[in-house]
Amino acid sequence: MNISLALALPPFQTLAQKHLIYAYCAVWLIQFGYGTWLAVQWHKSSRP
Amino acid sequence: MTNSRKLQTAGLLWFLLTLLVLAIGFYQACTAPTEATMGNLYRVFFYHFPHTILSFVFPYLNCFASFAFLYWRQRNPERALAADAFALASAQVTVVYASVGLATGMLWGRAAWGIWWTWDARLTTYLLLWLLYVSYVLLRRLSASGQTEVLSAVLAIFAAIDIPICFMSIRWWRTQHPAPVFGGGADSGIDPSMYPAVLWNLAAWAMWGAFILGLRYAIERRRQRRDTAAAHQYLSASKSPSYGEAQ
Repeated sequence: MNISLALALPPFQTLAQKHLIYAYCAVWLIQFGYGTWLAVQWHKSSRP
Repeated sequence: MTNSRKLQTAGLLWFLLTLLVLAIGFYQACTAPTEATMGNLYRVFFYHFPHTILSFVFPYLNCFASFAFLYWRQRNPERALAADAFALASAQVTVVYASVGLATGMLWGRAAWGIWWTWDARLTTYLLLWLLYVSYVLLRRLSASGQTEVLSAVLAIFAAIDIPICFMSIRWWRTQHPAPVFGGGADSGIDPSMYPAVLWNLAAWAMWGAFILGLRYAIERRRQRRDTAAAHQYLSASKSPSYGEAQ
């Protein structure tokens, strides 16, 4: 099995490797950051 | 169990299912075969493609909801409010998805082309799309006018004109951006072994988009109901005989 991204490649050696990791981190940061903000707003709006 | 409680339970189950599909999508993206020319860098595509495609879908929801708001605002104010809440939610989700599309595209471009940005037709129209929906969200946030909903609905309808232009830009013009991977003619397409990663991630981010869209809509509807209740309370208080004396 080729688990190249997670295991086989030592990250941060080349620009391509770095940018691949940065891209995935950017996606999670933006999406789950917005999701967390929504969860906080939902919680606040539940208060009377 | 009340309808509200049922909806919250369904939302929670949807969220858990989405996390599962996201995890499968990530696993598929990691285990897909390495591409011959780009190596592992091409794996950015598994996240870039779903976000970009979905950032062309949510603006249409925003546009339809804005049309619905303009149609119903005189005829059925309650429906108009619901349409307006949906328009706001879909505009915010568009900004989120287009931001991811821009960020992943630029990170890929720097590593693949050696440049962060170029003013070709696809990138320029996509930046315009992002700016249009950021301006929509800012208008909603900052405008103190009593006509904010109407102004933003009109802006949303004009903003949607950019979507087909942006989508077709890589078919109409020669661009630095790669030609269409799907539906781009005889030379387009990917190896069938990469399809599971593409489809799982497309499904996962579509499910996540539906979840945050629904949650944002529900938050906005709560705010509208609270504001309406406050307005009714104020009106009742102002009609009471003691109101003038208190003033």
